Amino acid sequence: MSGKESERIYADRVQVAYAKTLDFVSHAVMLLMAIGYLAYMLQLLPLTVPVETVAGNWHLGANELQAKLNLSSGWNCFASLPAMLHGDALSYASVVFLSMATILCLAMAVAVFFSEKKWLYLAIATLQVVVLMVAASGVVTRGH
Amino acid sequence: MKISLISRRFPVAALLGVAMLLMLMPSGVLLAAAPGVATGATWWVWVLALFIFSFLLGIVAVLAGVGGGVLFVPIVSGFFPFHLDYVRGAGLLVALAGALSAGPSLMRKGLADLKLGLPMALVGSVSSIAGALVGLSMPAQNVQLLLGIVIISIAAIMVKAGKSGYPEVLQPDRLSQILGISGLYYEEFGQHEVSWQVHRTPQGIALFLVIGFIGGMFGLGAGFANVPVFNLLMGVPLKVAVATSGLVLSINGSAAAWVYLFKGAVLPLIAVPSIGGMMLGSKIGAKLLPKVNARTIRMIVIAILALSGFRSLLKGFGI
Repeated sequence: MSGKESERIYADRVQVAYAKTLDFVSHAVMLLMAIGYLAYMLQLLPLTVPVETVAGNWHLGANELQAKLNLSSGWNCFASLPAMLHGDALSYASVVFLSMATILCLAMAVAVFFSEKKWLYLAIATLQVVVLMVAASGVVTRGH
Repeated sequence: MKISLISRRFPVAALLGVAMLLMLMPSGVLLAAAPGVATGATWWVWVLALFIFSFLLGIVAVLAGVGGGVLFVPIVSGFFPFHLDYVRGAGLLVALAGALSAGPSLMRKGLADLKLGLPMALVGSVSSIAGALVGLSMPAQNVQLLLGIVIISIAAIMVKAGKSGYPEVLQPDRLSQILGISGLYYEEFGQHEVSWQVHRTPQGIALFLVIGFIGGMFGLGAGFANVPVFNLLMGVPLKVAVATSGLVLSINGSAAAWVYLFKGAVLPLIAVPSIGGMMLGSKIGAKLLPKVNARTIRMIVIAILALSGFRSLLKGFGI
């Protein structure tokens, strides 16, 4: 059975929409990840912290390392255009995009559930997006 | 003939090579170099070693039918000089990337099922955020100790747990009927359609709450636990259980990954080669899968898991 035929018979609209979004997003993220890491390792762009300094301190816990080197965390690599134009910030940004991929796919699922008036799953998928967006906002990590 | 013989033996040889290298290498060789070690000349050796190691793990993980994260975290935290925080962060991202790349084709075939996965992922993602917060606020040595216990338990579960290709569900439970959880897929191996429904949905949801917490806390993919809950408890056919486990894992992993990102526990220097190596290795592993004795590989992987769990325990005790 061909892939197209199997998709037509065994996957409903929301599954196909989710799969298409995921296919595009995951490929885009992997490409960005490769570009970002090359820019970081080959120092095609300036670095906010030299690789040697990061490597010399990777035995420290996250709190200690942040206090010492103030590396990228959360969304701060997007704080400004000059901040983004660094090899390490670009590589970090690709990891942020990887973590965003699921939210984009779920947002697509929400739209399809809405158009098909599947209210129960619309509620579940919307709640799921809210949970991920709360996590992505950094609210839950504040104060810890 | 020669090529097929090589392709049959390569994964076992690779696995044994990795295992021997890691298990026999005196920890002092690696760890003595750890604090402040990776200065100038040596940092790239660790990064390259991590990439190669993740590549081999990717091959082995597919052949053994386990997620990458569950092997990655205990072994890398035991044998590489990185702090456990970054290993757990990378482990989550490795599991997330693997699940995302496999997702599209599995969803199109109706194997990864959104109606089955979404309710489980909703509770699992909340608890995985809680697990990540708890894990990152605990002293690393305690986490290492608990990790050892969890990994040894996983190895025991892998030895004990059976699996059922097409479990029989005589009567779906009330909740699964309300949620409309059931499906149909085409079994390519036997060339027939398989329809399925589920039971014990409330118990399944409760277990996904616990699994999510453990996955977030230790940066493990948790496919090792998702699959038996779907398959053995809820009566989901094995292929649907494996595929939907990836979907759940991608959502839970994404939720916990944000905690690690905001806590500064993700270093691209470590995470990206791990993800790249594991994904390349998984593709090779998938090609080798029909040609190797997966049962032998699985038993060796269980032994490696038990040993790395034991090593984590020792590190946890400061030995």
